[in-house]
Amino acid sequence: MIRLARARAARVLTTAAIASVVMGAVAVPPAQAANYVPISGAGSTWSQNAIDQWRRDVYQFGLQVNYAGNGSSDGRNQFRAGTVDFAVSEIPYGTKDGGVFDPPPTQSATNPRPFAYIPIVAGGTSFMYNLVIGGRRVTNLQLSPSTIVGIFTDKITRWNDPAIAKDNPGLTLPALPVVPVVRSDGSGTTAQFTKYMATKYASQWNAYCLRTGRATLPCGQTSTYPTVPGSGFVSQSGSLGVAGYVAQSNNVGTINYVEYSYALNSGFPVAKMLNKAGYYIEPTADSVAVALTGATINGDLTQNLGGVYDNADPRTYPLSSYSYMIIPTTTAPPMNTDKGHSLAAFAKYFLCDGQNKAPLLGYSPLPLNLVQAAFTQIRKIPGADLGSINVRACHNPTFTSSGANLLAQIAPQPLPCAHVGIPTQCWDGTAGAARIATFVHGVGDNYGVKAKPTGNPSAHPTGNPSTNPSTNPSTNPTGNPTSNPTGNPTPNPTGNSTGNPTGNPTSNPSSNGGTLSNPGAPPGAQAQPVAVASQFAGGNSVLIPILALLVLLGVVIAPVAVASILRGGKK
Amino acid sequence: MSQTLIDQLAGPPPVEDPDQARPISHQLHGSDRTFRGVARLSAIIVLTIMGFIGVFLAYRGFEALRRDGIWKFITTQAWFPEANHFGIAAVIPNGIFIALVAIVFAIPLAVGTALYISEYAPGRVRSTLIAMVDLMAAVPSVVYGIWGLFLFQGHAANFARWIATYFSWIPIFKVTGFNPHDPLGTITLFTSSSFIAGMVVGLMITPSICSISREVFTRAPDGEREGALALGATKWGMIRSVVLPYGRGGVIGGTMLGLGRALGETIAVVLIISPIYFRNAQILHNGTNSVSALIANKYGEASSFATSALMAAGLSLFLLTLAVNFGASSIVARSRSGASGDA
Amino acid sequence: MSTPTPPTSTEGAGPFHAGSAAVLQSTRSEMTRTVVVAPVTEAETTVEAEPRRNTATLKPKDIARTIGSALAAISLTWLFYTQILALSGVLGFIVIAFVLHVLLFGLITATDSPAPIVRDRMVSVVIHSAAVVLMFALAMIVGYTVYRGLDALPHKNFFTQDMSNAGPLDPLTVGGVLHAFVGSMIMITIALIVTIPLGITCAVYLVEFPGAAARFVQTIVEAMTALPSIIAGLFIYATLIITLGFPKSGFAASMAISVMMLPIIIRASVVVIRLVPGTLKEASYALGSSHWKTVWTVVLPTARSGLATAVILGTARGIGETSPVLLTAGFTTALNWNPFNGPMVSLPLLTFKLVGSPEQAFITRGFGAAVVLLAVVFVLFIVARLIGGRGPGHQSKRAARKSASLSAKDIARIEKAMAPVLTTGAVPVNGAHT
Repeated sequence: MIRLARARAARVLTTAAIASVVMGAVAVPPAQAANYVPISGAGSTWSQNAIDQWRRDVYQFGLQVNYAGNGSSDGRNQFRAGTVDFAVSEIPYGTKDGGVFDPPPTQSATNPRPFAYIPIVAGGTSFMYNLVIGGRRVTNLQLSPSTIVGIFTDKITRWNDPAIAKDNPGLTLPALPVVPVVRSDGSGTTAQFTKYMATKYASQWNAYCLRTGRATLPCGQTSTYPTVPGSGFVSQSGSLGVAGYVAQSNNVGTINYVEYSYALNSGFPVAKMLNKAGYYIEPTADSVAVALTGATINGDLTQNLGGVYDNADPRTYPLSSYSYMIIPTTTAPPMNTDKGHSLAAFAKYFLCDGQNKAPLLGYSPLPLNLVQAAFTQIRKIPGADLGSINVRACHNPTFTSSGANLLAQIAPQPLPCAHVGIPTQCWDGTAGAARIATFVHGVGDNYGVKAKPTGNPSAHPTGNPSTNPSTNPSTNPTGNPTSNPTGNPTPNPTGNSTGNPTGNPTSNPSSNGGTLSNPGAPPGAQAQPVAVASQFAGGNSVLIPILALLVLLGVVIAPVAVASILRGGKK
Repeated sequence: MSQTLIDQLAGPPPVEDPDQARPISHQLHGSDRTFRGVARLSAIIVLTIMGFIGVFLAYRGFEALRRDGIWKFITTQAWFPEANHFGIAAVIPNGIFIALVAIVFAIPLAVGTALYISEYAPGRVRSTLIAMVDLMAAVPSVVYGIWGLFLFQGHAANFARWIATYFSWIPIFKVTGFNPHDPLGTITLFTSSSFIAGMVVGLMITPSICSISREVFTRAPDGEREGALALGATKWGMIRSVVLPYGRGGVIGGTMLGLGRALGETIAVVLIISPIYFRNAQILHNGTNSVSALIANKYGEASSFATSALMAAGLSLFLLTLAVNFGASSIVARSRSGASGDA
Repeated sequence: MSTPTPPTSTEGAGPFHAGSAAVLQSTRSEMTRTVVVAPVTEAETTVEAEPRRNTATLKPKDIARTIGSALAAISLTWLFYTQILALSGVLGFIVIAFVLHVLLFGLITATDSPAPIVRDRMVSVVIHSAAVVLMFALAMIVGYTVYRGLDALPHKNFFTQDMSNAGPLDPLTVGGVLHAFVGSMIMITIALIVTIPLGITCAVYLVEFPGAAARFVQTIVEAMTALPSIIAGLFIYATLIITLGFPKSGFAASMAISVMMLPIIIRASVVVIRLVPGTLKEASYALGSSHWKTVWTVVLPTARSGLATAVILGTARGIGETSPVLLTAGFTTALNWNPFNGPMVSLPLLTFKLVGSPEQAFITRGFGAAVVLLAVVFVLFIVARLIGGRGPGHQSKRAARKSASLSAKDIARIEKAMAPVLTTGAVPVNGAHT
């Protein structure tokens, strides 16, 4: 009836009115620079944080980049199908991913697209953990690669396993069960980690794969982490899922593998990994960039990380890797020269100036060798502005414009306490718990009685340039005022009240307990379940139950008694 | 009006033999014919769309089933499409457990609230409550998922541990590997379970069941209500004898709507559960799965064959829900609130 | 002697006042049998003032009992929980306390009331608690979302900017959810334009033309309500985007959303349209209207508020769906008004993406987007309620006035038409109305 139609019209009009009112205040984008057209891509979530930042930076030049982070395989599939202009992936085409062959787009029947790989962003696979000893959170855990592989292949099941104890001579580990938390969805992080295991610990990895029921050997690299039914493994969806799971204060004993930025933002520590030179290193921007100086590019432009895993530089973090951007090298649809021009400009930006932001976001800047390899490929993009693509015009933080390697000069050497084989370990925290130290005992000491951080200079600068100086005051432990992204660590000013133990290395545990800052609730304020018992725990265990019983009797019986009295004779 | 006037207005009486059968024609005229045509057309369009989806699922799904047959698909628990070793024997039952937990939580809550709104609530409270329930139906599943993951899971896991400690003699509450006297036991055993996911999904479907139940409860005939009360029934007696039987069809219909949503719920389940690929009948134990969570997790990394396998799983879910709905609709059609109403 | 005592429903005036009691009784005796009635004396006619009976259902003693048993339950639970059994966890405490509360309340009520009343009271407590629990859950969910998003909301840019200019390192003073808001509005408008006519017409078909075909369609529709949202997205992706070559756009997403919404709208509408009383329809037929006119003027308006609810349920589902949009609309951070070209993002998709980020500011913005979504839905509900009106048989004052004025106009018109007939007895030619 007319009323119904009118009603419907009214509804549409209301919606339109609301929309147009809001539209009045729309921010107008800057004027489009010459020849920049919007480009769109899809792929890895591992790199998404960096791409987000870069897309925002180039927006000011009028270049619009759309990126959908739905997973590496989705990116590769979309690039092959011709629905995106570029893709980002940790795994190249042509590999067997979990036993399934992934054909490259050049073999597509409908739209063969010649392509190339370029490195886009680098980072280390970090192992975030939640461990508590004696009521205090551990922040300085050290693990060797074989221990890590043992944990994630269900060989090491308790935290006081001899292998873990050997890596941590300064800690008295509890007999808690180890709970590895892995990704349940397809993930590039899983791919990077399993690639490491398949390369360096192939027999253990294959044996584990067999136990999970995956029958195709060799197991190789995979995007979906296999789990043994009935083991203590927990799988969660997304990086946020695995990080959030470990970050719940109740979930003590959990350990995961995740991008470094998630650990940073969660307020939890990551494990230091033993490198070839015998030092336990945290996956900071420096250590990853140093490690990647050992990376080489194969003939088909895929990465060869053999030199990275075994890089002999003592500052190396072994599990470093980078992800690829898949770029088209011809104008096969949907590509054209305008888009190519925009894509090349975007690539030039993120390979050079954009890398300055990488440490802030939890990644690591690409070293010279990788940037040079990338430049070679970008020049092939149709419409690329060749003049601007050279090393001299590149403001990458790891090398000078003349090509000298800045990294080798500025990355700090590891401390002596991080060496393997000594009877104690460093007590500084890592990642999100960088402000919190864990006191350790030396040889012969009982835990907590005497805390002698042997070999540690005071005012140890965690100086972590990857600490995120976000302006949200309620979250990250900011306060390192000189965290500049070129990786020049400056010592933390003394007197930092958030608990950097700059003084008193030998004071007794109670005052040390006082200077230790309680990490408290991770940002995001996960609610702590209330243990009602502890809140009401009283000293008098006999008096209180009797009182309670009397109150109970009183409350239940008194009204009835009073009521019957009041009723009296009336009925 | 006078009799003559009526005669005048009615016109001359029909001249025909009263014993002869009058031909009754079904001839539709103009607007009715168009109306029937339009209505039929819309039904055909809807059927086509739905049919397309079913055909699409079946076609893509059969690519995967063709290789090894349906029986293997139904009886395999693992999920390795690349190794040709995949099946729904784990995913579907686990999903059913989640949905059952959801229904067990949702029905009392929804029916109780609907009864409160229709029978007990005073005027202003009633309209506010109706609005609140409808608003709750609109809260997107991703919000439920995040809330469940960060705020609810901790509490619920502790609650699950309490249940497992004292009620593990009931088979479904048993948790293998749990020793209540082990001080080093970890709470992770109780996280990401069917129980927790089921409770969150139950909260999600409660508002829709409640809305529909409330609608049918308010339509229970007042005459019967008053009759029950006049005969001396208490309020609960009246509800039990008049409102609930009348509304049974609508409640079941609403429950089916909710069950459908519970079985197909994707995002919230994905955020909470820890996927496993074997049947887990212990609802408190960590680990569960559902078809939509399987598809959501595996879709991004799936090759063409693996996508077909996922479609086959989707098809089986679709058939399962079809069977459930078919049974429910026959119950609803026989009930008073479901069939064509009379005064 | 058995004197039928007059019923004492009111005090004071009435036919059963003392004086007339005797008259009534004597009349009764005439009708039934001879009863010797003693004359009513003055003393006996002094009527005791009947105590005014309180017909309130909630008595002070009920309230007292409820509070008392609640306190008792809490203290008992605390006793067992902490001292005797040493359990932990808030949820278990609440559950045990509630169960005990119901039991104790029943116990107390049983001291002076018979069993049916005890059952009634206990059930009443349970039903009230169900409503309280549901509201508490809603408050917790909405409250938690608002709490987590609170930092982002006070900034004006949150509502007027999109995310093009906001990167992971930017504070909350930059960036907003405008593009998602516009995207959601456009998508849901297109979806509603498609599903409302189609859905309601189909529902009308199912109710008005019952038969085997209608039952078949109904079964299919009901099965489709359980379609996982990701399969709807996959379907549209495979057909529209891959096969037909549409770009990933807002239009494709709105098609996927329509596929999700359609079965729900149809199903809920069928339930509501079925509830229109058959007598109304028969009355309309008896007055000579056609099938079509009956549906348009009787059935649909009667079911209007229920249809509004059905559409709301479908819209709520459509607006809040993430996965179909995820697969069909791409992702962008820029404002896009064109649903046919370029990726478009919706509020739940933006929430999902933002909350999965490691940056705290993004997570806060994600929760803020969820708050905006809730607010949008809230506004839509209010609008739909205003438009939908109340159920059949219930009219707001304004609607009642309106019907009254329409009726008055009808009466005037009929009287005008009948005026010549009533005065002169002449029938209007051809039955024409003037």
